[in-house]
Amino acid sequence: MATKQAPTRQAITLKGSTNLVTEFFKYAANTILFQRGVYPSDDFHMVKKYGQTVLVTQDLALENYLDRILSQVNKWLLTGSVTQLVLAIISKDSRVTLERWVFDVNLVEPPADSTTPSAPKPESEIQAEIRYILKQIVSTVTFLPIIDEPTVFNILAYTHESADVPADEWVDTDPLAIEASKSQQVKLRSFSTDVHRIEAMVAYRYEG
Amino acid sequence: MAELERDPQHGSAKRQQRVQAFTNNMQHASLERQLLASQAAKAELDIKLREKELQIERLERDKRWLYQRETEERETREKEGAEREEERRQSDAEIRSLRASLSALRDTHVELQEAHSTLSRTHSQEVSSAKTRLVTLEHQTRTLEDELADYRRLADERGDALREAQQRAEDLEIAVQSSRREEADSASWPMIRDELHRQAEYMRTLENTNARQAAELARLKEKHASIEVLREEKLTLERRLAGMEEMRGRVVGLEAQLDAARREREEWVKKGNVGPRASDTSISVTQTLSALRLEHARLLEEHGATVAHLRSREAELVGAEQRTSGLQDHASTLETETRALKDKVAAREHRAELAEREIGFLQALLASYTAEEGTKDDSGGVDEVLAQRVHQLESASAELKAANVVLQNALERAEEENMLGGARRTRPELLEELERERDAAEASRLELEEARNAAQSHLDNIETLEQTLFELRGKIGTGSHVPPGIRVLSLRDNPAQQWTDLRQEAMDRLKHENEALIKRLKQLGDAGARVDTTEGESNADGSHAPREDLVPRESWEVLDREKKELEELVKQKEKRLLRLQQVFASKSAEFREAIASILGLKLAFYPNGQVRVTSIYDLEAAFVFQPAGKSAEGGVEGARMQLVAQSEGGPQDLPQMMRYWVEEEQCIPGFLASVTLECYDKSKREEAL
Repeated sequence: MATKQAPTRQAITLKGSTNLVTEFFKYAANTILFQRGVYPSDDFHMVKKYGQTVLVTQDLALENYLDRILSQVNKWLLTGSVTQLVLAIISKDSRVTLERWVFDVNLVEPPADSTTPSAPKPESEIQAEIRYILKQIVSTVTFLPIIDEPTVFNILAYTHESADVPADEWVDTDPLAIEASKSQQVKLRSFSTDVHRIEAMVAYRYEG
Repeated sequence: MAELERDPQHGSAKRQQRVQAFTNNMQHASLERQLLASQAAKAELDIKLREKELQIERLERDKRWLYQRETEERETREKEGAEREEERRQSDAEIRSLRASLSALRDTHVELQEAHSTLSRTHSQEVSSAKTRLVTLEHQTRTLEDELADYRRLADERGDALREAQQRAEDLEIAVQSSRREEADSASWPMIRDELHRQAEYMRTLENTNARQAAELARLKEKHASIEVLREEKLTLERRLAGMEEMRGRVVGLEAQLDAARREREEWVKKGNVGPRASDTSISVTQTLSALRLEHARLLEEHGATVAHLRSREAELVGAEQRTSGLQDHASTLETETRALKDKVAAREHRAELAEREIGFLQALLASYTAEEGTKDDSGGVDEVLAQRVHQLESASAELKAANVVLQNALERAEEENMLGGARRTRPELLEELERERDAAEASRLELEEARNAAQSHLDNIETLEQTLFELRGKIGTGSHVPPGIRVLSLRDNPAQQWTDLRQEAMDRLKHENEALIKRLKQLGDAGARVDTTEGESNADGSHAPREDLVPRESWEVLDREKKELEELVKQKEKRLLRLQQVFASKSAEFREAIASILGLKLAFYPNGQVRVTSIYDLEAAFVFQPAGKSAEGGVEGARMQLVAQSEGGPQDLPQMMRYWVEEEQCIPGFLASVTLECYDKSKREEAL
């Protein structure tokens, strides 16, 4: 009986965790786009989320774009075939990558020896972790170089070779690298559910 | 003239005649020629006809001949046809019969095939069964051969035995013959035999007793040895016991001393109680008391020590007893062993006895023979030989027996060794095993060392790998490294792509425009002469018909698109404006209605800024106000109204009110309110009427 029950619980957890992670990506992307001024701040409106106000875009095209990405990312997360998501901010004029916001997606290995599963992480704790990350994203403005040129952004998904990719929508692309000699990296906080562990990092171009 | 006239007619007739005659002649000649020719032709034809007839005749002949031939041939053919028919029929019949036979043969073939298959099947089965049988038979033969070999060996052995037995039988026969001869010779034989019997009996009994006594002796010796051991044990224990006794005695003495001391002390105490005054003696008493106490303490100590000693001794005693019991057990086991050994010895001795008896018997026999021999010298030669032979045989048998004994001893020793347990036998094996284990341990130790080294190296490796992993993570972060087996994907329709597409499009457009302009410039350069007229107007609007091609199509398109976009924008703006106007109109209507219903006044705004106010209770009471000029008012308030006109109607005391409110108080709201009140009263009065 116990063996039968365990997988279903696992499945539910996986799905729930996937949804949580996907939602986090949505708000994180919105926060970055707002904070880094990729879109005009008039386009954003405030939404209560994770016990704080988060700015979310009202631009229909952008919303649509994010939704399409996130629905695919959700599928990939369920199959465990996505390892990294990158939001790259690119200069419009020079087409140079200015910032790369990297979110590592790791599957949390369940401890092999314990037969009884450890107590599930309370959602409030996860939300607190997410809140900390979002706050940290906001606070990165203090040290990131000021962007005074028009920018666009792109979202890259690092997937396994074997991943199921809808070929008409997704294409292999350049990783939009920042030159190693001109890059700085700052590791941000991470958060984890019972299934996933998301580690955030920002790499930016700095010509000091 | 007539002649002439006639003449011409005549001449012409004559001429005609002549011509006719000539022509007749000519015709005649020609006809004759024709006739001749036709005659010749007729002759020729006749000849030909004859020839033909001849030919015909010949042909007729030929024909007839041929007809004959044909008839002959037909006949022969008919004959042949009949023959063919016959033959055909015959062949048909033959074919039919052959077919029948073929089908029959096929049937038989099928049957035969079936039979063949069944036969082959049975054959294969038989073959397989035969093979299996063969195998079993081989096996059997092998076993039988083995058995045969065994039997052969047995038979050989038996044969050997038989031969031996025969030999022996022959020997015995010879002996018997000789003995018979001797028996026949001697009459005192039974007597000797009896005597021999008796002696043998005696010998046997003696040996029996001897064996029994020897066994007893051995047993007793064993017992004696164990008893000796026990006795020694006992002696040591007794010695200890004596020590204990001494101790006990000492203990008793000490106790007695103790009692005495106690009594003395009590006495002392009594004495002390009786005479406290004896202070002179008290010092000595206390001294003795203390001495006695010391003694007492010492004695107590001694007592404790002795008790402890006693306990230890008792424990020793118990240990000794246990040891004795163990030794007794050992002794009993030894006794059982000795008994078993004695039994064995007895059996051996019994056998030896038997053998000796036999020997004795044989010796007696021999002696008797020799005695007989001594008495009878007549058959000396042969007997001598026989005796020698017997001697030899006896010695041989004795040797064999000795060998037998040695072998038996060896066998026993081997059995004993066997009996004493596998441990002794497997000691070498154990040693070997130990060695092997040691080797294995050494090997495993080495392996462990290696594994440890490997683990160390792995740890180092892990460290370096972690370092590289860290670096690579950084590289992945900056995007300059993509891990193997990972694809980097993005949506085809992403904002960056859209931006680049847009830029590309604009670029392309500009490029096209540029190209067209360059082309145009070249054309103009080629044209040369017209440059001055067209220069500076390339960017003018394209509506000018003769200069239509001066602006390139591409730039025109761009402009057109821009124009369209702008028009679209204008349309949108207009729409918005219209919407705003509508909203404004509705709002202002609402506002006016609200003013009318709240203040009882209708407002109408004129485009020049004037406002007409009409009371809803009296439509004839209307006033027009104009915003006062800003300069006039100074800066007190933005828009003050000024009454500029009024209608004819209105309340009767309007001029009065006007004077009071407008001119004196300068309060238009108050004026309007009073006007509203008056108008209301008036309208009410009119309604009542």
